[in-house]
Amino acid sequence: MTDLMIALLVAFAVWTGWRVFRVDSMVRASFALMLSFVAVGAIGVLLSAPYIGVATVFMMAVEMMVMAIFMVMFMMNPAGLNPMVMVHQHRLSIGAGLVAFFGLSAAVLLSPLPSNPVAPGTDVVAQLGHELLGPSMLIFETAGVTLLATMVGAVILSSRQGRFGSADEGSRPPGLTEGGDPAGRQPEGGGGHGHHHHGGH
Amino acid sequence: MTALLTLAVLATLLGGTLFAVALDRAYLPLLALFTRQRVETEAPDRLNRDLAPAWYLALAAIGIAVVPFAPDLALIDSPVGIVIWGSCEALIVVTVFLHGWSPNAPFPLIGAYRYAAIGLPVMLPSMFVLIAAALPAESLSLVAIVDSQREVWNVIRQPLGLPLFMVVALAMTLRGPMDYADAADIATGTSAEDSGAGRAVWQIARLAMLVSVSAIAATVFLGGPLGPVLPGPVWLWLKTGALMALTVWIGNRVARTTPSRMLTILWVVLLPLSFLHLLISGLIEL
Repeated sequence: MTDLMIALLVAFAVWTGWRVFRVDSMVRASFALMLSFVAVGAIGVLLSAPYIGVATVFMMAVEMMVMAIFMVMFMMNPAGLNPMVMVHQHRLSIGAGLVAFFGLSAAVLLSPLPSNPVAPGTDVVAQLGHELLGPSMLIFETAGVTLLATMVGAVILSSRQGRFGSADEGSRPPGLTEGGDPAGRQPEGGGGHGHHHHGGH
Repeated sequence: MTALLTLAVLATLLGGTLFAVALDRAYLPLLALFTRQRVETEAPDRLNRDLAPAWYLALAAIGIAVVPFAPDLALIDSPVGIVIWGSCEALIVVTVFLHGWSPNAPFPLIGAYRYAAIGLPVMLPSMFVLIAAALPAESLSLVAIVDSQREVWNVIRQPLGLPLFMVVALAMTLRGPMDYADAADIATGTSAEDSGAGRAVWQIARLAMLVSVSAIAATVFLGGPLGPVLPGPVWLWLKTGALMALTVWIGNRVARTTPSRMLTILWVVLLPLSFLHLLISGLIEL
């Protein structure tokens, strides 16, 4: 029974993972990937790792929500509903995909997998906690501080009050040649803010 | 036993939703919606538009399924019960976003992005408050959390917990001061383009979620099924009903501020406050 459910969840995870590259919008891709991870989390629960499984669902739901917002924010397709092609750099990605597939398959087939079922009634969540805050503390603290630094960096980069003043004031695109005029359309007339534009208000 | 418990959970969800409908005085508007025809938007994402209300309702059902109905009895008796509820909260934000994104129309999309911006920082105090409640129980299981409140309820031991969680409850049920998704200032936001039965199901799911989030709050802060004389489920129903009424009352009485100001409140006031809450709760348990 458990085997059948795991097989179905694996099939669902693979199918939704494939959908990530076939759908035509960033939002659909993000949440297809989320569904794939939800299936992986459910497999974790079935493999007697309840905390890791449920936490995967939790983390991926938050993460994919953030990812959808950021990807749409940095795309030229503001709503994420207009069709777009999700795949690029075909040769490189096919190569990387094949290497990853055969590498992981080889790792699965060649490494000796342990077979020591967890005895029913074992307090697996507490054991995991002792492991995370004991022998593996250094790894997790390093990862945590790295993520914090990334977040602070992302906030600084996207902040309106940047290091060089407000982001929406006096910004000039770089010149087309070294030290040349800024690229893009020049404001009409010297200094005026174009009062004739305000007709429609 | 499991069948009986499933029935009790479903009956609680149904009865609670009817009580929520009564609190909101929404019987007639909801019934009338079922007879109206559907209005289509241009090029919607049909899958998500049709499924978003169902997901919202399903998340409400999962939320109430982890709640213990008697001191040792929950339908989903998981060792990580509050993490399951945390996942439900995260998926609610995704569901509300998809509900607003899928019609391909301006007001729902504004509601969706506003809610995502508010919903994500709301998750953080929620997690700290729930972890603080897990400290005296020394377990992430809701059954253990109920058990840890036999002598004193968490609402007294951790006084900041329930007020902070009420903010989460308002956000998860799209209500009053935290309703940045379906608010009147953007023509009911994510449900602006909803019509007919789909609109009715979304509103019902919203009310069902009020039952679930109140039941979780009653379990974590008010001792859930614990209480003298009356049987466990009755105590849970009374406490859940009281918290539902409180949530509806706050939702009707407190004004909503602008999203930017609410973001400042969430990051600058509520998040440090929940840190402080976790610190104090931890020091008490040492």
